[in-house]
Amino acid sequence: MSVLEIRHLVKRFDQLLAVDDLSFSVGAGEIFGFLGGNGAGKTTTLRMVLDILRPTSGSIALFGDAPSRRVASRIGFLPEERGLYSGMSAIETIVYFGRLKGLDEGLARRRGLALLERFELAERAKSRIGDMSKGMAQKVQLATALVNEPDLLMLDEPFSGLDPVNQGLLEEEILSASRRGAAVIFSTHVMQHAERLCDRLLLLRKGRKRFEGTIDEARAQLPARLSAVAKHDLSGLPGVSGAAPSPTDDPEWREWSLQLAPGVDPAQVLEHCTANGIALRRWDQHQASLHDVFVQLVGPEEIKP
Amino acid sequence: MTRTNVLLVAKREMLQILKMRSFWLTLLILPVALALGPLLGDTLENRDPTRVTIVDRSGGARGAAIEAQFTFDEKRRLLSQLSRYVRRHELQNADPKAPWAQEGQWYGPADIAAFEAAGGLKAALARIARVRPEGVPGFEAAKPDYSFSPPPPALASAPETSFEQTARRFLADEKGDTAPEIVVLVPEAYPADTRVAIYSADDVRTSFVGKLQEVLTADLRMGLLAQSGVTGERAVLVQTIAPTIAIDTPPPGGGAAAKTFVRSIVPLALAYILMMSLMLSGSWMLQGSVEERSNKLIESLLACISPEELMYGKLLGGLAVGLMMITVWAGCAGIAAFATQGAIADFIRPALEPVSSPGIIAAILFFFIAGYIAISAIFVAIGSMADSMSEAQGFMMPVLLLILLPITFLLQAIIAGNNGPIVQILTWVPLWTPFAVLARLGQGIATWELIGTGVLLVVSITAELVLIARLFRASLLATGQRPTLGKVLERLRRSGNSA
Repeated sequence: MSVLEIRHLVKRFDQLLAVDDLSFSVGAGEIFGFLGGNGAGKTTTLRMVLDILRPTSGSIALFGDAPSRRVASRIGFLPEERGLYSGMSAIETIVYFGRLKGLDEGLARRRGLALLERFELAERAKSRIGDMSKGMAQKVQLATALVNEPDLLMLDEPFSGLDPVNQGLLEEEILSASRRGAAVIFSTHVMQHAERLCDRLLLLRKGRKRFEGTIDEARAQLPARLSAVAKHDLSGLPGVSGAAPSPTDDPEWREWSLQLAPGVDPAQVLEHCTANGIALRRWDQHQASLHDVFVQLVGPEEIKP
Repeated sequence: MTRTNVLLVAKREMLQILKMRSFWLTLLILPVALALGPLLGDTLENRDPTRVTIVDRSGGARGAAIEAQFTFDEKRRLLSQLSRYVRRHELQNADPKAPWAQEGQWYGPADIAAFEAAGGLKAALARIARVRPEGVPGFEAAKPDYSFSPPPPALASAPETSFEQTARRFLADEKGDTAPEIVVLVPEAYPADTRVAIYSADDVRTSFVGKLQEVLTADLRMGLLAQSGVTGERAVLVQTIAPTIAIDTPPPGGGAAAKTFVRSIVPLALAYILMMSLMLSGSWMLQGSVEERSNKLIESLLACISPEELMYGKLLGGLAVGLMMITVWAGCAGIAAFATQGAIADFIRPALEPVSSPGIIAAILFFFIAGYIAISAIFVAIGSMADSMSEAQGFMMPVLLLILLPITFLLQAIIAGNNGPIVQILTWVPLWTPFAVLARLGQGIATWELIGTGVLLVVSITAELVLIARLFRASLLATGQRPTLGKVLERLRRSGNSA
């Protein structure tokens, strides 16, 4: 059974269609990337999963049931806009959120202290949030999302504002939650994190799904680019949709920049050359990056370096 | 909605407010102000007698008569005060025949003479002390209004042509505690020249001039009577004949107006305290709500609890803080009453009378708590719409004026014993019902009116909470959007857009 299953979800705010017929599912132990630019509908979707917003139409099944606060104890959530009560101490804050998620005070405190230990903040357990640096406060907020050891961890732009060390720590926490069997959904528009972490991902543009699948499947969305040095004219090879030659130092050999038709495996083209005695001096294969896929499907204006 | 979550939010709200320095300061300011008030009042009222010097150049008898009249009036006032003290504490059996043990008497010269002959105030207090029960405070005589002293030699010998300048020089000497504040000159040619001059550094009270004129007029009349052949006892009789006036007043604090006032003190104080604690805890609740919005906390909270749980938790936390403040203030009042036993307890007993039946106590609790919820809910709604404290205060001002102005009029009307149509109307408008009902308990309020306004208040609060829950829910995540009146009305109408 999927931890989260969304079917034909629509959310409309007056004239604005924020989420448009969105369907996807996430299973236990899976790390699911929710990718899209600003205003793509990521946060709105997560808010609907959390029952903060109600869908205009469509359905959401969370652990097999409609979203409600009853399942809040099984969810961990890190919002994009982060903040905590500045007057409360780190451990008080974690215990408060733990208790709101149904933990008893003792257990929440033990887990809170263990998390602070793991985040190298044990000595600051009793410090007021207002006295902490932004990075420390963000780690405390991550601890509030993890204190209930959630079965579904949802992180909205979790890497924004974190330094490289803390980004590494967060990646480790995501992997650790997944190893524990939790489904992890995180939204981002930083492709490197998605490439490193995601089992599957979904690309969203203006509320509509543009792609859902694995990283490799995403890359395969764009035709691979090849460059080869050959004596023969390579423009007529099967699967090649475009070929541009350029001269080399040796007048007999030419360098070809090849464009493959979508879905054509470069290995098939190489095999064809070998089988047909087409001599090759060089064969370079350039697989499309997730960045390229994102730019192609979502738009270049939406990407962050 | 779960009770545990509401209680958790309420506890956090409460602890947050308890951590504020401003909470502890305001909690202590009221008892300290109440303790200092009487002391300051005493200091302000502790006026020394006005020093008077009479320069009588007509022979000295008139100056002596003026001083004697003032002294007599002071003694009558003292006797009257002592009599009221004796009646208030039922101490007549100290000496039932003494003038101060007699009820309803306008004291004449014979009474004053008898009082003096029996040893004056000192002897009277010694007798009273023998029967005064423990806890009854001692009698404190008020200071006389005027003290008389002989004129300094320079003033006494100053020629009448330059008397004013000399007198002004003495009056201007403000440093000394002995310099005269009023100088009266009876000229040498008096009564042929009837012009009596008063020199004063300040305004002279009408009562002083009136008394002076009374004594000198009597003197002039005596002269005229003598010229007409009426002399001796007959002339004195003409001057002093007066009816014996008996005055029947209720015991101290027992008059109709005084009684209503005393009975209204605790109810009015309750209405004031409700207003004050609401303003204070409302402002703290507002700070908490604004912090949640400006610190982007709301989304994290709403992932765990529903907007209703958050709202009710805030209301409950605010109510708990308000009740805590009132308990502390009531405790301070109790300690003060216990510590000063006699004076305050004696005053509090009749004041507590109208609010001491179980039904009325229940009504007080109900209207107090209902008032708290009704007004706090408005503050919570404002907090849910504002992104910053300054923005919140912009909303607060008109709301506060709307709530407070009619309450101020209402309380003044009730202090004045007015129970007219405005008081009646405000009693039935739910926003002001708790204040009006609490304040009117001293005057007496019909049971049907208590029940009717109570039911109306419950219905209104229910509707208010439904509407404010919608506004709260719709406003929580709408950061950065300026809530215009149109938007607020739209949020009040819709209920399904957010969970």
